[in-house]
Amino acid sequence: MTTATPAIPKSWYLPSKPHKFCPGCGHGIILKALGEAIDDLGIQDQTIFGCDIGCSLLAWNFFACDSTQTHHGRTNPVMVGIKRARPELICVGYMGDGGGYSIGSQHLLNSAVRNEKITVILCNNTNYGMTGGQMSPTTLPGQKTETSPYGRDPEQTGYPTMGPEFVAAVASDNAYVARATVSKYKQLKKYLKNALTNQIQGNGFSFVEVLSTCPTNWKTNAQQTWAFLEDEMEKQYPVGEFKNPFGKGDN
Amino acid sequence: MAKLTIENTARVVEAYIGEYASGKSEMAINRALELNKQGRRVTLVDLDTVEPFYTLRPIKKILEEQGLNVISFSHEDAFGLGETGAMLNPRARWALRHEGDVILDIGYGVYGAATLNLVEGIDECPELKVLAVINQSRPMTNSHERTKEYILSLGRVDGLVANTHLGNETVTEVVLQGLNITKEVGEELNLPIVYMAVDEDLWEEMNQISVSVPVKYIKKYMPGAMW
Amino acid sequence: MARITEQPKKSFLTGNETVAWACLAADAEIMFGYPITPQNEVMHYWTRLAPKYDRSFLQTEDELSAGFTTCGAVQAGKKAFTATAGPGNVLMQEPFGMAEAMRLPTVAVIQQRGGPSSGTVVYSQQEVTLTTFGGNGEGHRIVYSTATHQEIYDYTIKAFNTAWKYRFPVFVLGDGYQAKMREPLELYNPEDRGIEMVKPYPLIGLGGEIGVDREPSHLCNIYSLEEELYEVVMKVSAEYESISPEIEEYEEKNCEDADIIILTHGIVSRAADDAVKALRTQGIKAGYFRPITLRPYPAKQLREAIQKSGAKKLLIAESAYGQFERLTKQEIYGETIQVEHLYMPGVGIIDHDIITKVKSIL
Repeated sequence: MTTATPAIPKSWYLPSKPHKFCPGCGHGIILKALGEAIDDLGIQDQTIFGCDIGCSLLAWNFFACDSTQTHHGRTNPVMVGIKRARPELICVGYMGDGGGYSIGSQHLLNSAVRNEKITVILCNNTNYGMTGGQMSPTTLPGQKTETSPYGRDPEQTGYPTMGPEFVAAVASDNAYVARATVSKYKQLKKYLKNALTNQIQGNGFSFVEVLSTCPTNWKTNAQQTWAFLEDEMEKQYPVGEFKNPFGKGDN
Repeated sequence: MAKLTIENTARVVEAYIGEYASGKSEMAINRALELNKQGRRVTLVDLDTVEPFYTLRPIKKILEEQGLNVISFSHEDAFGLGETGAMLNPRARWALRHEGDVILDIGYGVYGAATLNLVEGIDECPELKVLAVINQSRPMTNSHERTKEYILSLGRVDGLVANTHLGNETVTEVVLQGLNITKEVGEELNLPIVYMAVDEDLWEEMNQISVSVPVKYIKKYMPGAMW
Repeated sequence: MARITEQPKKSFLTGNETVAWACLAADAEIMFGYPITPQNEVMHYWTRLAPKYDRSFLQTEDELSAGFTTCGAVQAGKKAFTATAGPGNVLMQEPFGMAEAMRLPTVAVIQQRGGPSSGTVVYSQQEVTLTTFGGNGEGHRIVYSTATHQEIYDYTIKAFNTAWKYRFPVFVLGDGYQAKMREPLELYNPEDRGIEMVKPYPLIGLGGEIGVDREPSHLCNIYSLEEELYEVVMKVSAEYESISPEIEEYEEKNCEDADIIILTHGIVSRAADDAVKALRTQGIKAGYFRPITLRPYPAKQLREAIQKSGAKKLLIAESAYGQFERLTKQEIYGETIQVEHLYMPGVGIIDHDIITKVKSIL
């Protein structure tokens, strides 16, 4: 029997590995795809990785790239400040659904409206993971969390935030907006590459929401985790490109 | 037919425009009071829409006591001072319907003389003179080139008022240097210096010096209008 | 380096414009701002001037964003600043807290307005507590409280040097009166006065090949354990205290033989100065002391002034309800001088107010 060691992206920072995410968490998959995209595009030395508060925070020293860690919801303005000051840098903001759609929603919306030339990657795992599994803007109707113990009631708390849809509605035509899922790795990597390429080319705002897994807070085994992602989440949140300045089939 | 001048026109309508803190309000107040002293009926209009704070509001009563009809916000209708209050006083819109002279104090801002569009009937007002107030001690108008660029950005301008000063530190030398540059720019742009304004405190010194433009000595009212 | 004036020139400006010119003179490269009265003309003039001097501006979606974009730009190695007031200052305490934690050389100009809440847009000295000790930290920041337009110009230039030299967030604390008042001052190029501007430098985006030329720069403001944070806060506190004597500034007049010392800061000092002169002509031995830096506070110098004068009373006058008095009392704890106060929250104080108060307590 032979064992295969999966290749580690060059842009990963090895002293911080193994990483600190829970077993079965989707963050590792997203950051693997991001690392490979950074490697493929050869931008490791120019990339500034910014992470939010929440589980995304655990990526603060994930990459062998310069990075900065911000406050909950404030990664987008910090990235905007860096990019405005040094346009030659490739600025990547990384956050969860709470940071992007709730406490920092005004920054996401306005960064998109102003077509800020940054790349925002948002991990949607339908809950606030690090604080202990509370309801988030993307919690599914009926889904139980620590602050929706009887299941999310849309009458009381609204319907899930459709992030890429709302970003696409306000973003300019040269913005890149997509929703990926950790269940489709090749597509995920392609979307992340598109989102980085769009910034490299100076086109405009780039946003990728990634549907991700949180077995620790969902209290699911491996099979249930994947079933929730592929059956429940992908039904609520359609995967695909919402705005693609490169045109169809060209990427 | 005699040429119409500000002095002999039946009705005086003057709009004072210019840089932030150039002295527009002082010019407008002093001019309004000057006309008022000649027994004329005068309406003074505060049309500052960019910075509705450093306005005539706090000295409205004092000016009214001197006989002017003042259109500006009073304390009662300026709730919140710009955070919540209306920027344009509805009465200012109809200012030209008042009988007699109308002196308009236009605030600074990127629209320059276009702010006058807010006044109903301004296009059909043959008496209107748009006067740009120039203080060469203002950094944006502190050289020939900057002054020229600034005046050209204003839109309609019919004449200049030379108002170079340094507040309480004004000396005649500053006033005269400012006048010279303003005159040069005026000649280049074919704009007359309608008058030069000098703080009345400098009357004794200035009175000894002959200058080629009319001089008006002004009394400062605006320090009392801080907010 | 752009020269803003050929030779030093007396000019007639409002305080807000003075800020914009000072930032230009200090080689600030980018401003982030959000409209709020009474600081708007800082933005109005910066946006008029910036393209002429190849500088930038971004109007953000709110003050949180203005503060955090400023943090981002200084991390990227550019001199960046913002300006705000009142409720905007409240929102900016979040990014200013990050600047304290990460030692970011941000510069912020605060034009105090009346509070609490929306208050008035006009004037107060009610943002002293917020500006000196706002945020969930220890007040590791430097606050200059100006009294004249010349000082606004001088200390705004200085703010950039203090920020980049010591790497603590720096504030220029003005107020609505100073913002809107107009008076003459001299504009100059710092180099003409022998003022060397501290060069900014990046904290991230350092160039070179990572892993070959250098290790990556990973900045953070969060720690796992109490002890880790403790180490950091103690280290930063010690450093702040050690540099404080170099930063503290004050102004003192007529304290040597004073029976009463009048303690003010900011624009109220102008009234105190006039009041002391008037009281002296009336035979009342009044002294004048004014901290220019509210953080760090020139406590040693104030204690010395109290002790050498043997004054019986210290009159604290402020356009707030005791914020400056609380700050002062904690700094001169143990002094036995009797402290009196004149609180006029949200309204201006003139010499007459102070003179009347002095006569009522002597």
